[in-house]
Amino acid sequence: MKNKWTLWALAAVLAMGFAAAEKVHIMWSGAITGPTSDAGKYYAQGIEDYCSWANDTGYVSGVEFVCETRDDQYNNANTLRNFEEAVDRGDPVFLGYSTGGTLQLKPLVQEVGVPFIPASYHIGNIDPPDNDYIFLPIASYSEQVIAVLEYIAKVSPGAKVAMAIHPSPFGRAPVEDAKKAAGELGIEIVEVQEMAKGLDYTATLKRFENKGVQYIVYQNVAGPVANMIKDAKRLGLKVKHAGAHYAGGPDLLRLAGDAAEGFLWVTAYYMPHEDNAAAKFVKELGAKYGRPADAIESVHYPSGMLAAAIAIEAIKEAGEAGKKISAESVYQALLKMNWPNKLAVGPVTYSKDDHVGVDQLRVLEAKNGTFLPVTEPFSSSLFRKVHYGK
Amino acid sequence: MRNPWTRTGNYKTSYAQDTTIFATYSEQASLVVFLVGMLVLPRFLVRGDMQILDLILIYALAVLGLNIITGYAGLINIGHAAFMGVGAYTAALVAPHLPFWAVLPVSGLVAAMAGAVVGIPALRIKHLYLAIATLAFQLIFEWAVGHSPALEQGGAMAMPRVVFLGYKVGFKNHHYFWYYVTFVVLVLMAFAFRNLLRTRFGRSLVAVRDNDRAADAMGMDPGRTKVFAFALGAFYAGVAGALYAYWSRAVVIEDYSLMISIKFLAMAIVGGLGTLVGSFFGPAFLELLDINMETFSYAIKEIYNPPGVDVGSAIRPLAFGLAIVLFLIFEPRGLANWWRLLRSYFRNWPFKY
Amino acid sequence: MSYFFQLLVSGIVVGSVYALAALGFVLIYKASRVINFAHGHFIAIGAFTAYALATSLGLSVWIAAALALAFTAIVGYFTERIFLKPLVGQPIISVIMVTIGLASVFGGLIHMTPYGSGNFSLPDFLPEGGVSFAGISVSYPQLLAVVFTGVFLAAFGWFFQRSTVGIAMRAVADDQMASMSLGVSVEKVFALAWAAAGVTAAAAGLIVGAISGLNLEGLVGIGLKVFPVVILGGLDSIPGAVVGGIIIGILENLAAGYLDAYIPGGGTGDVFPFLVLLLVLWFKPHGLFGTEEIERV
Repeated sequence: MKNKWTLWALAAVLAMGFAAAEKVHIMWSGAITGPTSDAGKYYAQGIEDYCSWANDTGYVSGVEFVCETRDDQYNNANTLRNFEEAVDRGDPVFLGYSTGGTLQLKPLVQEVGVPFIPASYHIGNIDPPDNDYIFLPIASYSEQVIAVLEYIAKVSPGAKVAMAIHPSPFGRAPVEDAKKAAGELGIEIVEVQEMAKGLDYTATLKRFENKGVQYIVYQNVAGPVANMIKDAKRLGLKVKHAGAHYAGGPDLLRLAGDAAEGFLWVTAYYMPHEDNAAAKFVKELGAKYGRPADAIESVHYPSGMLAAAIAIEAIKEAGEAGKKISAESVYQALLKMNWPNKLAVGPVTYSKDDHVGVDQLRVLEAKNGTFLPVTEPFSSSLFRKVHYGK
Repeated sequence: MRNPWTRTGNYKTSYAQDTTIFATYSEQASLVVFLVGMLVLPRFLVRGDMQILDLILIYALAVLGLNIITGYAGLINIGHAAFMGVGAYTAALVAPHLPFWAVLPVSGLVAAMAGAVVGIPALRIKHLYLAIATLAFQLIFEWAVGHSPALEQGGAMAMPRVVFLGYKVGFKNHHYFWYYVTFVVLVLMAFAFRNLLRTRFGRSLVAVRDNDRAADAMGMDPGRTKVFAFALGAFYAGVAGALYAYWSRAVVIEDYSLMISIKFLAMAIVGGLGTLVGSFFGPAFLELLDINMETFSYAIKEIYNPPGVDVGSAIRPLAFGLAIVLFLIFEPRGLANWWRLLRSYFRNWPFKY
Repeated sequence: MSYFFQLLVSGIVVGSVYALAALGFVLIYKASRVINFAHGHFIAIGAFTAYALATSLGLSVWIAAALALAFTAIVGYFTERIFLKPLVGQPIISVIMVTIGLASVFGGLIHMTPYGSGNFSLPDFLPEGGVSFAGISVSYPQLLAVVFTGVFLAAFGWFFQRSTVGIAMRAVADDQMASMSLGVSVEKVFALAWAAAGVTAAAAGLIVGAISGLNLEGLVGIGLKVFPVVILGGLDSIPGAVVGGIIIGILENLAAGYLDAYIPGGGTGDVFPFLVLLLVLWFKPHGLFGTEEIERV
């Protein structure tokens, strides 16, 4: 008899346990294979690991996160399918990836009202129309490029700059704002070149040289950038290189070797070799979940973590406010978010008019095979002036 | 006395009887049952399934077009997705000014013009050379879109939301609405496809495929036939492109890339080249395979996930490639052949033959 | 003027890679009339095998390269044995599609290794810097590319002119029936052609690894660039592959150098070879050196 009661009690405890641990799904759809997958695969691992960490440490009490990283192969149809599946399941938040996919989904995101956090920092994602539910984790490509232009204008006033960009909306994102900012800064953007998939960038580089270009600013992923700066070194060009978030990072150093020396890079994340809580946290998680060194050192790993962290933080805040976890409550929590996170150089702040999480950026320079910060975290006021006119 | 419900023997006494599409009443009846079944099917499916069903039907329409070009006329086309893209971009440009039912034929016609232009080299070159020319067209199309500011350089061009007879299409009913539109279009165009071979033009397509010199000697014009085949096939692709644009809510270049062209060829082959049912089986088989492999890949990830390698994601291209290779080696006539065998089994049932 | 010559020189270097890639493609077509859409994947297999051997086993790059050439040859050989042999006599579309399917299979298999996504650089095995004169600079890997192509060309030239197997391969290309009746094993020749194509593809992959870097998509992309090359040179001509490769390489660079500034966004180098392809198809379908087909009813 006693046995039977024990069983019942056990069952009751278990049932309560299950009832208490609400399962919350968070889906990410991005490129683990296909174009840009060199960034996407580490981004996915960052999301998975932050999620596991939140579950293992019981970060949000009473909530168990089920994080799915879906490979959409950089194909928008797959992204769309994944997003609709998440919406149908009632997911409170969705993590996106590509610029193309995010821009395509904008009207739908607006219609269904599910908060959407892309890996693409395209300013068009959060510009009207249909921009209420999209939140960038860090400052946009436009702001990143303007930040580096500001730095260039400070170091060498009146510099001639060329932009080398990815042949896609992702690459073209900052061009307009950069041109306007260059006018304000008194530097000249002499050419904007979309980087072909070629084996060799001699033709482009020689043309830049003929036009007296002093700096090349990249908005591309690290692979092609590495090839171009290696070619520039081979040709003996006296040109300096700079790039936005996806153009640089430890991946670039690994690929380009000492050709990357002096590369100016803008990002909102800390470097793994830095001595601070963020770097330690990232390395700790990477070790805990058995990631290879390449992943842990890649900047895309903490980027993925930050995206997942923002979603989880919003869910936590929605829960703490005593609301049921839904797209609407998470959205409200995001709108009020002011979270001093331990991944990026500044706090994640959102409001109705500000859909950019971490507003601060740092300029780093590659010296002796590592990226060292050359500025304090700052926010570009010039960007706000040229983009919003205020 | 002949039983009109089953085929008990050959009772045909005139040419008209011999060319009839439906040999027995049961074939007519099964078609009606099938069509009614397709009409009520959405009642039993959830939104997520509808999405996949829509995709399959739209691809089926495009594959029908490919089957005219490659299946009937024997012209290998590695640029079919580009025709679809021409239709989709046309749709994106005219959709703000026209109702959707007018957008579809307009997109088809513009794509047909593109098809005719691509077909012009067929006057002079054939076989492999023609295949490579269509490949070049595909790549030039992608490049041209990527350099056209009017087309957002390949970025998302949003499609307007459709209001039809006061019925507003939104998130909840989107896939249902486009299912019925696609279904109606598909039935009409499949009917045309089925009857194409019974026309003078259809016969000359096959004649040109089998031996264009001989066809020429018999008074057909192989050049004109080939150009027309490209135009007609591209028309199907163009309509499919417009439907795809509406269905995916925006037009982006990745949806009309070389990879998709290859997918269409694979669908046509797996389904059975030049067959009507194959045009449905092929897309259904490969899309469902892909989705199941995706689910399967998550299962694999749970069990086996070595660092730095993504075994799960590798499964999808692997399965796609293996499907093509295995079908070509073991069943080059595709799924349509299995369907034929199945039908002939039931036609004579309960007798063996 | 140095601008023009620099473009010309780098065009020749890129063209050598194309030529080497096209060489294998032409070998297969010449022997067995198969268009190989998986050629880009052979290039990738060769390059990543060398990379894997050099980095994980710590072999010297030269030994790793030699082993990679051998391995890719074996892959080519068995590809023909297993997948192409059952399709002998099938229509062209089946043969095209099977190589497309194989491309996807190889892609999937490469994704099962750590090299499916991401960028990799071969360990440095050549001295830094390069040669430069009169304002034109060429790096050692680039010089190596040109030399490698020359060596391969000479080797294949000798192979086809002098060796028994090479002569048998030419005989099969010329007339299958006649060579069969003279005791040549056509099957063996087909498989050997694929193995030889594997070697040249791997060589092309290695050179790409040395001059730019390894990335699956980039390597596979070279498989597409082969088409304008072989159409220009002639599908079944080995000298055509080399001449076509170098011409396309130069045209690509000149287009990028002189036209990009006038096209918004540039990138003409990517599309120019395919425009050339269409023009060649229209005016000279059998290319510069290809055999003209004469049809009779």
